[in-house]
Amino acid sequence: MSYLAYRALLAHPWKRLWRRGPGRARFLAAYAPEGLVPTRVEDRRIAEAASACVACGLCESCCPLAVAAPAVRALGLPAVFRLYSRTAELAGLARGALDACGSCTRCDAICPTGVPIAAIVAHLSAGRAVERGAGG
Amino acid sequence: MAGPVLETDVLVIGGGMAGAMAALSARASNARVALVRRSPGATAVSSGVLSVGDDPRALPGDFFASRCSPGDAARWVAAADPDHPYARVGEGLGEIEQAIAFAAHELSALIAPPEDRNRWIMTPYGSAIPCALCQRSMAAGDLVEVEGLVAVVGFRGHLGFDARLVAQGIDRLEGLGAPRAEAVELALFMGQGESIAQPFALAQALEAPGAAEAAGELLGKVLPAGAAVALFPPVLGLGPQDGGPWKSVPERIAAAAGIAVAETASDVPSVPGLRLQRAIDARLAASGVELLQGEVAPGPGGPGAPLEVAGRSVVAASWILATGRYLPGGIRRRGVLQETIFDLPVEVGGWPRRTSTPMSTGSLARRPAASLTDRDERALQPLFRAGVRVDAQLRPLDVDGRPVHPRLHACGAVLGGHEPAADGTGMGVAILTGRLAGRAAAGKL
Repeated sequence: MSYLAYRALLAHPWKRLWRRGPGRARFLAAYAPEGLVPTRVEDRRIAEAASACVACGLCESCCPLAVAAPAVRALGLPAVFRLYSRTAELAGLARGALDACGSCTRCDAICPTGVPIAAIVAHLSAGRAVERGAGG
Repeated sequence: MAGPVLETDVLVIGGGMAGAMAALSARASNARVALVRRSPGATAVSSGVLSVGDDPRALPGDFFASRCSPGDAARWVAAADPDHPYARVGEGLGEIEQAIAFAAHELSALIAPPEDRNRWIMTPYGSAIPCALCQRSMAAGDLVEVEGLVAVVGFRGHLGFDARLVAQGIDRLEGLGAPRAEAVELALFMGQGESIAQPFALAQALEAPGAAEAAGELLGKVLPAGAAVALFPPVLGLGPQDGGPWKSVPERIAAAAGIAVAETASDVPSVPGLRLQRAIDARLAASGVELLQGEVAPGPGGPGAPLEVAGRSVVAASWILATGRYLPGGIRRRGVLQETIFDLPVEVGGWPRRTSTPMSTGSLARRPAASLTDRDERALQPLFRAGVRVDAQLRPLDVDGRPVHPRLHACGAVLGGHEPAADGTGMGVAILTGRLAGRAAAGKL
């Protein structure tokens, strides 16, 4: 609680003092390094779709990269979803797996709960590209 | 609507165990059958063994006290629980033995021949579960049959399987007559910068030429004295691939190590579950069932009217609903529980026979799903027993208790009254009701 008070009363005004520009750019400059990026409508839609994942792992059985790419092989696609939903910082651990995806969309047809896996992976990759460009 | 109209006798919606049994049994009655499914369902993430029922008089885990056959166990279940699909099918339950034999025959490439008792197969958690049918790769691990030491084999770095936990689980059953067990570890797939730890990747790696043989040779060196069977994690290959001669991974390991090889039942991600689904798909294709992949768009008419299936128009005299329950989405929770394709009423049977809040048994629940759980976590949970209510011919009933349509049938986990995840009858219900529904649908042509 005292930490939150410190953030609200001291750290946040202090950060605001030195930032100039439109609100979104200012927010990103101040908070993107901490992994705090604003949630957009598409982000929420993607998160809702991903929440249907039950981590059954079937998508890995048909993913050509699960065998070939060590980053995917070590972690697995469900783990990517879980990491992303935990915090944006942890999603960095899944970076290798996301970058390796070749968008073959084979995983979409095998998901028992109908999660649009390829679309989510594409969204996560694209989202990270934007964040890297904006905030580092 | 693209494509010509597909005319067929029976349309099965859902391609798991229940849908497959319905389609194959309708084919066996010489009907033309089409089967549509969106994706693999709960069968593909199942443990890979097919449980029909357990002896209710035996203590939990006391397998030597369990002497009744799977069919008799199903009859016990039906006598004890009038809401269970085993009881709902009435005289149809008399066919449980034929249904089990039918499933074993249709899937004989994968399933070991049935016995007149339950087999007891170890799980990765160190417990033993009874099953009427198991995969050929598991049969040698039947605890009742093993004579001698069980060597529980783990792969180094495979986090999904703790060989010592499984060995301890077998040792705990020793007083009941189980064999002794010892854990061994194979340092395979973990050298020179490669680390294969995921079940599907392990299964594919073992199918590579020479890999199973290498595992077998390694195993031969570390086997404890007196070992009669090597019990592996459930990663021994994904099964027959298209074309070419094929020898199963357990056979290859056994030949190289000189010992019988078996695998345990599976957790998710489930290699045996996917293997089972693939065997089902292969059998459906081989028996001449028209397979469609996609969604079903419900229309105004009943069976006999055109139905939009996977972007095509399908006209079938009978429809069989085999869409499963929560995981594949046959039943969804949108505030209240709903059947997703035909919006059939969902019942929550058996609620609450053992609790104090009265509600008529078998009432067609239109109440918030959150109110359908019992605080006692050991009790049967009404939420998990929810499903479509059917008559003895497996026709779904409307709110007044009349069949919705004379040629609409339902089978498998979409039926209410049983708890597939907990009561050990999930696959048995799929096999029995699938067979009965398929034959009933084909018989009305």
